[in-house]
Amino acid sequence: MAKALLFILLSLATLPVFAQKKFTINGTIEDAATGEKLIGATVKIKEQPQNGTITNAYGFYSISVASGTYTLVYTYIGYQPVEQEVVLDKSHAIDISLHAKNELTEVVISSNKPNNDNVASPQMGEEKLNMAQINEVPVLLGEKDILKTITLLPGIKAAGEGNTGFYVRGGASDQNLILLDEATVYNASHFFGFFSTFNSDAIKDVTIYKGGMPAEYGGRLSSVLDVKMNDGNNKDYTVQGGLGLISSRIKIEGPIVKDKGSFMISARRTYIDLFLKASSDSTIKGSSIYFYDLNAKANYHFDDNNAIYISGYFGKDVLALKNTFGTNWGNSTGTVRFNHLFNNRLFSNTSIVFSNYNYAIEDFESDNYFKATSQITDVNFKEDLQYSMTSNHTLKFGLNVLHHTIAPGDITTNSTSSFNDVSVEQRYGYENAAYVSDDWRVNSKLTLLYGLRLSGMFLLGPGTFKTYDAAGNTLTSATYSSGQLVKDYFNLEPRISASYLLSDVSSIKASYNRNTQNIHLLNNSTSSTPTDLYVMSSNNIKPEIADQVSTGFFENFKDNTYEFSAEVYYKWLQNQIDYKDGAQLIVNPDVESLLTYGTGRAYGLELFFKKKYGRFNGWIGYTLSRTELKFAAINNDQYFPATQDRTHDLSVVGIYQLNKRWSFSSDFVYGTGNAVTYPTGKYEIGGLTTFSYSGRNGYRLPSTNRLDIGATLEGKEHKKYHSSWTFSIYNVYAHRDPYTITFRDSKTVPNTTEAVETSIFATRIPSVTWNFKF
Amino acid sequence: MGTKKYKFYLVALLISITALSCTKVIDLKLGNVAGQLVIEANVTNANGRQFIQLSKNVPFTNTNTYPPVTGATVSVTDNQGNTYPFTEGPAGSYYSTAFAGVAGNTYTMTATTNGTTYTASSVMPALVPLDSLTFKKNAFKSTNNLREITVHYQDPPGIANQYRFILSVNSVQVKDIFVLNDAFSDGRYVDFDLVENDTDIHPGDTATVEMQCIDKAVYTYWFTLMQQQFNSPGGEVAPSNPPTNITPVCLGYFSTHTTQRETIIVR
Repeated sequence: MAKALLFILLSLATLPVFAQKKFTINGTIEDAATGEKLIGATVKIKEQPQNGTITNAYGFYSISVASGTYTLVYTYIGYQPVEQEVVLDKSHAIDISLHAKNELTEVVISSNKPNNDNVASPQMGEEKLNMAQINEVPVLLGEKDILKTITLLPGIKAAGEGNTGFYVRGGASDQNLILLDEATVYNASHFFGFFSTFNSDAIKDVTIYKGGMPAEYGGRLSSVLDVKMNDGNNKDYTVQGGLGLISSRIKIEGPIVKDKGSFMISARRTYIDLFLKASSDSTIKGSSIYFYDLNAKANYHFDDNNAIYISGYFGKDVLALKNTFGTNWGNSTGTVRFNHLFNNRLFSNTSIVFSNYNYAIEDFESDNYFKATSQITDVNFKEDLQYSMTSNHTLKFGLNVLHHTIAPGDITTNSTSSFNDVSVEQRYGYENAAYVSDDWRVNSKLTLLYGLRLSGMFLLGPGTFKTYDAAGNTLTSATYSSGQLVKDYFNLEPRISASYLLSDVSSIKASYNRNTQNIHLLNNSTSSTPTDLYVMSSNNIKPEIADQVSTGFFENFKDNTYEFSAEVYYKWLQNQIDYKDGAQLIVNPDVESLLTYGTGRAYGLELFFKKKYGRFNGWIGYTLSRTELKFAAINNDQYFPATQDRTHDLSVVGIYQLNKRWSFSSDFVYGTGNAVTYPTGKYEIGGLTTFSYSGRNGYRLPSTNRLDIGATLEGKEHKKYHSSWTFSIYNVYAHRDPYTITFRDSKTVPNTTEAVETSIFATRIPSVTWNFKF
Repeated sequence: MGTKKYKFYLVALLISITALSCTKVIDLKLGNVAGQLVIEANVTNANGRQFIQLSKNVPFTNTNTYPPVTGATVSVTDNQGNTYPFTEGPAGSYYSTAFAGVAGNTYTMTATTNGTTYTASSVMPALVPLDSLTFKKNAFKSTNNLREITVHYQDPPGIANQYRFILSVNSVQVKDIFVLNDAFSDGRYVDFDLVENDTDIHPGDTATVEMQCIDKAVYTYWFTLMQQQFNSPGGEVAPSNPPTNITPVCLGYFSTHTTQRETIIVR
């Protein structure tokens, strides 16, 4: 079936041009200073305002129009626009370099008109953050962090205070597809989620899709977070870095061959360890706790039509208690991409992607010695094609063959240990997909982005595969040989969004999309622990399915300086996963017997008001939402609020550029507390006070709120180097946000019980970072 | 494997490092679903009067005193044709005449109260001898010169075993729940550290450990409670009443288990 689809796609791509007298302009848009390709830059034809295109992930664009004389306008946020006149009597290749504006000149230059892309584009539920903005927003301990910044957007919620886990439109945190240069990052957190694996220095572009996912993305229900690394400066060598309270970082980039190829290496390491050395406790003193990240990328452009990109990430967390116990976990990814231009309208990218997540837990005591390991490894082949068919049709199509190897758990021990060696069978499978989509500018008012994705899941032997009844008893057990098909699932995923311009500055949009998910995270803890266990859809686990409809109103004010949007969405969820009581997930060959399945629904309203330009900019985001789940085995088969259900969620972000040297920023967040289960009574069992419960998640943690402020002082201008200081205060008014509430026998009043609230950042946390560049 | 232990270490490290966390006792408005039946029924291999307790749960804000359920009809039968009637002693406490549970026998408890009959079955596991207790420096509280207790026993190979340990220090029961099965240590000589978070064990203290060999259903019951009890910052699974082996469903359990005790003076 996938083959047939591919055949259709390829035949479509080779169709002759419909309009005979059309010519094509194609090329790349890059930063004039560094040669970094600009993603999502706009190309417009002044004489035909309805026609235009944007650059793809490699800075490539292609646009076809009838012969004539035109003025092309190239724009990108934060850059000075360029206008280029072109006499179109034949096809042209035009590469454009745009100059970045510094913040101050931006205020002064009035000819630089902000555009209305956000209104005109049919894409819904998409948020793009530019790195300059991310770098301004104050964060915990001065570690600027894209994952924490995206949780300040409507519809995206932090999993917990200081936690980089996030929930998008009510989806669970494993329902986000997190891509770093196309490689899946399975665990995007360091140190239990207080920091993310993304070192901002190395990141060029961040886009998150909350809904209306383009057909080229698939495999997760809730969102796609597409993170792209910097290519590296292809003009000059630069070194930049920073010294912070808990970590230091350094980045080196430069040309391999000037204007043809470049490299970038970026590294970060924490030194939280130093705090341990100050401890009076000898065990803590001898312990280690740190993480590091390494990003590297290189590219080379052979000629105008061929380019290669190689990028990789490696990160690890290490945590050990002296002579007692240790754990480490980390991701590694590698991507090799080859860009090829078949002709001036057909762009191809071929990728081979590697991704791995693994963890190890070790007990060093001889009588309890063991080492438990687990990992997931992906090898992914992707072919993506983009065909600028006519001036109002851009086709994207491609296919994807993704092989998973999951080693759920292995334990190795020694002869004096209390434990045996155990090895849970590895699991193998393919997640394959083919897709096609068309960006169709129907007329000057209506634009459609529609597509279809076919996904196939193939679980393969070797191994013994069991099925279980609702109670978790084994029903059948069968042994499969290597490569033998155990179970397959096919899903058709339609994706469609449309925008209709009401005026130059306002539009309505609507979208529908279906997403499916065949790889599921099992972790019955809400905090980000390293012991993530992934399972594929199987005889027992069906693919998770989400159907989402959304519609919205978009309007810009004052020459597109202000943006306003209101979106509503409704999502139906099928085949959701929860756990039975007493589930022991780690190194358990029968882990699928511990699962229970249900449905869910999520709906909400998102309001967003943003000032994009000027000395003072920022945004206000508000979400009103509900997320409910329903499981036969839980809460008497009645809907209950999911942990991530948050009725109100408000974020306010403001950035103010005082003068050339000083800028200030601030953010404020408010949210309804997580849904939790509290006791409704107590009794005594085994001599212990025990709590009784009725229903799931019937209570709320108190609401959370917090104000952070930050300031940046740019150093005096030097020819050779530049430095800056970043100051921040996290939780300015020292609010106690409850992290958990637990129940216990009172420590003060005998024979009674009490509720105890734990807060983790109940105090003001100042930080300072020194940044340099030369 | 004692996953609790490792979570405990992780969280303790985390807290000691952030050093910014704080706790306080708060007032909460909690629901009130009280008056539910609680049955705690045990039959052990020790020859003596076996004991079954019937009570009711109370609202969270009450004192820890639980109303007894009086006037119930309670008995235990075994698969050898024996019936052991239980008679009410102090209100809500039901006692048999002396008998000892026998390994391999299936025991069925029947309790009738307020017109409803509750039943549960449990198979008495074979005894696994408790070898010894030892103490060592508490890895995490080493500077304070505190101790932790380790239980030693030989797990029999080839059969599934489940254990529960009850630790008392100076005759006061430690509030942590300790259960373990042999999924990772079948046939091994096991050294199980009783990592607790309730009390400080000093040199000179007397520690007593009761070791019980329990059946699978009762293990799941205690394991669920243990998971909920260890409520680390960040939260764990949503708590619920642990799965009981009693039908119709009520609070509590029926367990037939072996019992052994060992005492050690900590130095």
